[in-house]
Amino acid sequence: MSEIILRTENVTQRFGGLVAVNDVSFELHKGEIVGIIGPNGAGKTTFFNDITGMYTPTEGKVFFKDTDITGKKPYEITALGMARTFQTIRLFYRMTALENVMVGMHTRTKANLIDCILRTPNHRRTEKEAEKRALEVLELTGLSEHKYDYATSLPYGLQRRLEIARAMATNPEVLLFDEPAAGMNEAETSDLMEFIRQLQGMGYSILLIEHDMRLVMNICERLYVLDHGNLIAQGKPEDIKSNQQVIEAYLGKGGEITDADA
Amino acid sequence: MGNSKLQKFFAPLLNFWAQHSVAVSLVALAVAIAFPLVFNQQYLITVGINCLMFSVLSLSLNLISGYMGITSLGHAAFFGVGAYTAAILSTRLGVNFLGTFLCGTVMAGIFGILLGLPTLRIKGRYLAIVTLGFCEVMRIIELNWMSLTRGPQGISGIPRMELFGFAFSKPIHKYYVVLVLLVLTVLIIWAIMNSRVGRAISAIRDDETASDAMGINVFAYKIMAFSFSAALAGLAGAFYAHYMSFIDPNAFNFDQSILMLSMTIMGGVASIPGSIFGATVLSILPEALRGFSDYRQVIYGMALAIMVVWMPNGLLGGFNLKHIRQRLGVAKLSKKTAKKEGKENV
Repeated sequence: MSEIILRTENVTQRFGGLVAVNDVSFELHKGEIVGIIGPNGAGKTTFFNDITGMYTPTEGKVFFKDTDITGKKPYEITALGMARTFQTIRLFYRMTALENVMVGMHTRTKANLIDCILRTPNHRRTEKEAEKRALEVLELTGLSEHKYDYATSLPYGLQRRLEIARAMATNPEVLLFDEPAAGMNEAETSDLMEFIRQLQGMGYSILLIEHDMRLVMNICERLYVLDHGNLIAQGKPEDIKSNQQVIEAYLGKGGEITDADA
Repeated sequence: MGNSKLQKFFAPLLNFWAQHSVAVSLVALAVAIAFPLVFNQQYLITVGINCLMFSVLSLSLNLISGYMGITSLGHAAFFGVGAYTAAILSTRLGVNFLGTFLCGTVMAGIFGILLGLPTLRIKGRYLAIVTLGFCEVMRIIELNWMSLTRGPQGISGIPRMELFGFAFSKPIHKYYVVLVLLVLTVLIIWAIMNSRVGRAISAIRDDETASDAMGINVFAYKIMAFSFSAALAGLAGAFYAHYMSFIDPNAFNFDQSILMLSMTIMGGVASIPGSIFGATVLSILPEALRGFSDYRQVIYGMALAIMVVWMPNGLLGGFNLKHIRQRLGVAKLSKKTAKKEGKENV
């Protein structure tokens, strides 16, 4: 198997007496699409926040390419090469699509306040590069014709896509998607699946949290299942589908997971 | 944004402005230069100086309260720091006004950092209250540190501005000094907001969490913008000290902070012309309403209330000339290609 790009070691997150994530170890290999699934309140997003620096794990460690990133700030982690999207869309609403993506370029460009005020060559180069790359990303994500539209004015599916475009602009190696298909209809979800496969083709390693079983079963190579903060299963989608513990977590005893379950 | 009917009515005007923004700015500058030459009366020029000085203050406040979305109720404190720095340096050490301008700016910037470091992690209305408190604390220090500020008596006899033997003694001279400061401020704010730094500032206003996730050090940017905004207010303060030749703590109280915030919000959130417009209107309004002095505050208050309800972004806020220009460019381009295709079809 190819090299491990992101892994956690026994991550535990407590909020007072509540154990939101309990002793979870996982790994993501280069070029892989891995999903984290689990019923509502299983601790998926909390685990995500532990990885991306929004929270600092109470115990355990997070490694990005063998660098210990536990306790690092989100902006530092993004600079290292990891970018995320959010469960509820968090775009910069009063900025255009192009500007949203250009904000994503922030860590890859270096023009400070003085450069900007004095309009130095460094500033001009930065602006040119940022705009060029941002336009490329918009082209890749099929948002070119909306480049001057406000983020708010885009339809829901495109807003999701813009969020991904913005994450791509940070030039990451790992993309983390928090419920990318939330609120999408069948057609939009199919588009998204196709798109995520394309992203894999571009060389990104992808970790996603998802409720939509069809999407997860179709595109993820491996799955981790969380329930009440505990890792109850991991493995290939086919194996997870028939795992008794997972079925119980989702449906209670005696149930069965089909592709139609969301 | 706000009222769509109003927007439709003003759309052609906005489009024109967006396409000729440089020309419009130059015309406005020409008017500002010509004003004291045409209306060469001391009273009118004094009003003009007030308009320009408050434009600098309102613009500097707009950087944090408009563009970055941090409401500050303590901007007058930085104005005061600049003024006191200039007054003390020029009366005690005989520093030239260029020196006092620089020191006033730097000192206010340092105070901005000092206030920002412990407080900028607080958000929204809590931060607003902290800045309000800071404004009061500074006023009380100015009132009580007798040996430095001479307390309630204020500092008088601040020397006028002089450069290479030329004294800026007449109001018209001071008018042009503050006009230069305003042009400088406009250029700086414009340059910041049309750059990588400005994008980060706008992003922080829209969504701090997402900004953080996009690799922006939110706290550092807040400190930077906050101290920069304070520094510009300090510059205006240094000018104020030399211009009035007398300062006392009352000039930098909470009312002044509110006045500056009103100018910023009424004129237009996150808008350079808005800030200048707001400052100008709110500087002239009390003068124009002098005849109705009994009702002045009522009218003034009503105007503000109406603004807040119907135009929460202010008169000139809520639109971005650059965005309008970009969209017009796209529309033009598609028209052209449509024409071309039409020809080819024929």
